[in-house]
Amino acid sequence: MTGFRPDATELGDARRRVEALVAELPARPGDESFDEPWELRAFAMAVAAYHNGQYEWSEFQLSLIESIRRWEAEGGDAESAPWSYYEHWLTALETVLAGNGVLSDALLDDRTREILATPRAKNHHEPHYEPVAIDPAR
Amino acid sequence: MSSTPIQPPSIRTQEEIAARVKALEAIMIEKGIMTTEAVDRLTEIYEKEVGPQLGAAVVAKAWTDPEFKERLLSDGTGTCRELGIGGLQGEDMVVVENTETVHNVIVCTLCSCYPWPVLGLPPNWYKGPEYRARIVREPRKVLRDDFGLDLPDSVEVRVWDSSSEMRYWVLPRRPEGTDGMSERALAGIVTRDSMIGTGVVPAP
Repeated sequence: MTGFRPDATELGDARRRVEALVAELPARPGDESFDEPWELRAFAMAVAAYHNGQYEWSEFQLSLIESIRRWEAEGGDAESAPWSYYEHWLTALETVLAGNGVLSDALLDDRTREILATPRAKNHHEPHYEPVAIDPAR
Repeated sequence: MSSTPIQPPSIRTQEEIAARVKALEAIMIEKGIMTTEAVDRLTEIYEKEVGPQLGAAVVAKAWTDPEFKERLLSDGTGTCRELGIGGLQGEDMVVVENTETVHNVIVCTLCSCYPWPVLGLPPNWYKGPEYRARIVREPRKVLRDDFGLDLPDSVEVRVWDSSSEMRYWVLPRRPEGTDGMSERALAGIVTRDSMIGTGVVPAP
């Protein structure tokens, strides 16, 4: 359950391998950080699906370029459609997976609606001031 | 040329996109295209740099500067801001201190609320139903069996439930044998799990 804890060197190597893939893609703005949790998740999923052999990296790359190009062609106006690199990333990932027949828009839409419809639990938007559990010293 | 203005693609909220990404991950896992572990693994590569080293710096400062520590414990959010650390999912952060007699551990019993700005992204086990349920029911056992943290019986275990309004994280104990270490060196030994409370900082 805890997963494994790679040492720093192994992490560094893994990171460099991913960087090598990313180096060929249209640049991410700024300092390559992630603004939202879903961005990092989407990022990791694209690499994982590639490692699984779902597509050639170049296919994903072209799809990403195409999504960005379309946004630019449609005005590229930050006010009408705010720039989000990772929305393009997500679109690219959906596109290549749909192209392979492993994903359909309808299926994804349904699942997304399901997740959005899951009710938020009561009280969850309130601070909890006391420990939720205590295992006393004996 | 049509005079109709170009329709922007439907603008989705962050919540909608996050749900879509979650749905996509669920579908791909069901189809056997990827495993949660593989995605976690890749996430971790990046997590190391967006996250816990910031919390580690805060901890190291608290260990070496008693006044800072006092401020940190009374106002987690404001005091982290002194170091330029804050933002998304860190709006109201409360730091709980481990002592000789009390060990704290954090959870979000309902989803995965987590103090992002100091710890980065939560590991997947933190978000999983198993950890969320069991750490509340049998914290001492989960810490021992799942995390190899065998706390003496003399230590009280407190489990803190983070919500979207208030997020907890743990100020771990400074290990023995670190007296001469610089703040920077100390930051290097603080682990993510020690700030979740599923681990302690090992003596260097």
